[in-house]
Amino acid sequence: MYALLLDSSNRNLSVGLASDHKMIDEISYDAWQKQSELLVDEIDKIMKKNHVTRQDIGEVIVSKGPGSYTGVRIAMAVAKTIVFALSIPLYLVSSLEVLKVGNKPSICLMNARSKRSYIGVYEGEKTIMADTILTNEEVLAYIKAHPTYAVSGEISQLGLEDKPYDVLTNLLHGDVERNLVKEPLAAKPVYLKDSYPV
Amino acid sequence: MKYTFVSKSKEETRKLGAFLAPKFVAGDVVLLKGDLGAGKTTLTGGVAEALKVHDDVISPTFNIMKCYFKGTLPLYHIDAYRLEHQNIELGLDEYIEGDGVCFIEWPQYIQPLLPDETLSITLKNIGDDNREITLESDTPRFVKMIEAVKGAF
Repeated sequence: MYALLLDSSNRNLSVGLASDHKMIDEISYDAWQKQSELLVDEIDKIMKKNHVTRQDIGEVIVSKGPGSYTGVRIAMAVAKTIVFALSIPLYLVSSLEVLKVGNKPSICLMNARSKRSYIGVYEGEKTIMADTILTNEEVLAYIKAHPTYAVSGEISQLGLEDKPYDVLTNLLHGDVERNLVKEPLAAKPVYLKDSYPV
Repeated sequence: MKYTFVSKSKEETRKLGAFLAPKFVAGDVVLLKGDLGAGKTTLTGGVAEALKVHDDVISPTFNIMKCYFKGTLPLYHIDAYRLEHQNIELGLDEYIEGDGVCFIEWPQYIQPLLPDETLSITLKNIGDDNREITLESDTPRFVKMIEAVKGAF
């Protein structure tokens, strides 16, 4: 039984194939604005390469947002289709939580633009700050106030230097009870951005 | 800085676009203002041609946004006309702060998404094929562009 791991919540497209919480194979690369063209192909390729058939897939674990408005919907739409067709469980994980660094307290960030960032703070299984959207100034103040926390994810919008990050390692362990979706077809991405008053 | 001149033909308006095109870099935002038929799409067409987009530029009023990826710099053309009093969180910010140059018609309807530094171009139909074109910006990069336009038009 294999788990299929998918993420397209930000610039990257990541596909992982795991068995028993061990990564069998994975791909991850910058596919900004091309994820919808590439995702299904990449799933097909990784399965064929590892001689895995559809019936071998036992669950799908996917990041649910926040992130790129189009990006978060791509992996989720594909994941919903697969779990519906195969009648297998779907697990949704915060796309910020998948940026956490091991069991260290981690400030997980993504550029929300208009001088704002998506932020979630995690320590292992514990949520220190639930995913929200803050101004970059507020985020920098939070980082300053928590010097021992790891800072992970997209941070160039804060004037910090982006470091590589790996979402698949965290997705690998996303198939826990709290992430299990009861009605996969009703699942919705998490955007966090509300309508501006106009 | 502000500069106003009169374009005497569609062709001259296109030429302005072509003149500006090579000066743009990723992340630049141009606000296009003017009534229907003032020449906003014509101007953007001139930019697209000079960027070697090899695609006809049509008004994105229906689509809200059209992307042209094939040129020397990605060109994003947004028409916010239909977004008045609507939810504007459609991911447009990923293009406005993106890896190309972004032309926005009816920018007042997506004000919260606009960056501080913009080049504003206002087109006004003053009869026949004549259009009064005003370029305006306080951003040093764009001020330089306006100065170049002043020398050429």
